[in-house]
Amino acid sequence: MRRPYIVQILMTPAIVLHGITKTYGALTAVDDFSLEVERGAIFALLGPNGAGKTTLIRVLTTLLRPTAGDAMVEGRSVLTEGREVRRLIGVVPQENNLDRYLTARENLVLHARMHGMRPAEYNRVIDELLELTGLGGRQHDFPDTYSGGMQRRLVVARALVHHPRVLFLDEPTTGLDPQSRRAVWDYIQTLRARMTIFLTTHYMDEADTLCDRIVIMDHGRPLVDGSAAQLKEALAHSHLYEVEVRRDADRYETVLRGLPFVESAERSGNLFRLALTGEEALKPLMDAIGSADIRKICLREPSLEDVFIELTGKKVRE
Amino acid sequence: MFRGAFSIWGRDMRVLRRSLFSELLAVIAYPLTLYLAFGIGLKGYIADVEGVPYALFIAPGLISMTAVNAAFDESAWSMWFHRRVQHTIEEYRVNPITVYDIVIGKIFSGFCQGAIKGVAVAAVIFLMTPFRFPFPHLLAYLFFIILGSMIFSCLGTICGTTIDKPENIGRVQAVVIVPLIFMAGIFFPLSSYPAAILPAIRVLPTTAIFEGARQALLKGGIEGGYAAILIATAAVSFVLAVWIFNKKIEE
Ligand SMILES: Nc1ncnc2c1ncn2[C@@H]1O[C@H](COP(=O)(O)OP(=O)(O)OP(=O)(O)O)[C@@H](O)[C@H]1O
Ligand SMILES: [Mg+2]
Repeated sequence: MRRPYIVQILMTPAIVLHGITKTYGALTAVDDFSLEVERGAIFALLGPNGAGKTTLIRVLTTLLRPTAGDAMVEGRSVLTEGREVRRLIGVVPQENNLDRYLTARENLVLHARMHGMRPAEYNRVIDELLELTGLGGRQHDFPDTYSGGMQRRLVVARALVHHPRVLFLDEPTTGLDPQSRRAVWDYIQTLRARMTIFLTTHYMDEADTLCDRIVIMDHGRPLVDGSAAQLKEALAHSHLYEVEVRRDADRYETVLRGLPFVESAERSGNLFRLALTGEEALKPLMDAIGSADIRKICLREPSLEDVFIELTGKKVRE
Repeated sequence: MFRGAFSIWGRDMRVLRRSLFSELLAVIAYPLTLYLAFGIGLKGYIADVEGVPYALFIAPGLISMTAVNAAFDESAWSMWFHRRVQHTIEEYRVNPITVYDIVIGKIFSGFCQGAIKGVAVAAVIFLMTPFRFPFPHLLAYLFFIILGSMIFSCLGTICGTTIDKPENIGRVQAVVIVPLIFMAGIFFPLSSYPAAILPAIRVLPTTAIFEGARQALLKGGIEGGYAAILIATAAVSFVLAVWIFNKKIEE
């Protein structure tokens, strides 16, 4: 059955990747990556340093030609309809790229002009955005007199001047204080009704509470895909417990690490975070410590960070 | 069409306007020093060159040199700065404009810097000296300034696009640009060259810029051979600059 055109439009996902691959010489930064992101979602791409997140965003924003594969943004190919794609997207790059020879306002105006907006149109939007991002009072200053958080907010504002349908944010909150992070997030939240948001972040709590869907990637490939709850649920079978002892923590550390049914043990003070092989390990665990010395024992809900570490390992990346 | 190029050019002109006075002061100081040192300092030692007073002989070359140097500098450094330091080229590239908009906007900015600074030096030298030129001579001279600035803006754009390390831009200037300019006979007549190498010197685009400009200013008229070399060089360097930028940026 053929669907009416308008329905087809509404049903096309905002972003589609077909087998995107990007190699730099011998290094494969993104490896045969396929994905669909539905309209109106806040989508987070997580992964350790060097996983390929920025590379993927650069392909989607037409800055980088993929070695193989194609991607669609709002149904337009990044390979053959780059200009159309760029009309529809807003981009906040990982590194701020403001023009330090232009004032904050002039930065926004230049952006609007390149989008073909007229002064009557852009002045109103720019006033509004400067107000919302709390930069109105400093709009005639140069960006290098701004704090890092203010610069970041200005970059976000710039990406929104032309009312994009898809917003790409590469680590929008890295380096911000909790207040600025919150301000940026509150602002992003108000946008969700109007656009699809594709972001990367290293803050697990942000992804957990604010994003509808999460993909964790490493070495250029996706590892898992789902909502925060689904990802955590998938890890729930691995038995995570917290055990607090009253005394002799040093001795118990050696004991716990020696037990065959303890897969891993992390210690902070008197508190141990244990991953056990299964529920049947609980009884021997209590025996090993001795009930008099146990202050507390409880099941621990896995956090998104647990999922992340579980999937991508503990080793620090180069 | 070319909305992006126009926006980028507008941005560069706005930034130039902010610092116009100090830029002009800096750019006029160098040719003026040379002019005073050679034109007036050597006055007693060098009589006329091919029937022209030496101070008058070197003036057109100094003006052209300012223009083409300014065009090269602006294009090379601005392209390098926006590409490697500020990464503003990337911001331009996520807007609905083409790479042609970016490179053409940048080439025109360099060209304008060259033309504006050349004219400023010309005004100062003309004010300081008793030499006066008929208006058609000035127009013919302007033709060479414009084409020269255009060519050097394209060359600068190519350097700023392909060279990642700033010190290498300085080296290209010292090893390629400055010799090309001086070989073209700013301070001496081409007739000083041995007859054997003169034909090679005559086809250098810089010779066409400097010798053509001098003849235009002093004698009037645009010499066909020089004009042809310049127009061809401008066309080739423009196409090359656009093509190289396109290649480099797409990676
Ligand atoms: N221009 C380049 N030339 C060569 N290798 C590159 C280039 N850009 C990225 N890479 C490599 O590609 C891989 C992916 O890099 P990318 O920047 O996409 O990672 P990322 O997930 O964004 O990391 P981070 O969290 O640190 O920002 C890395 O191994 C990186 O070294
Ligand atoms: Mg990155």
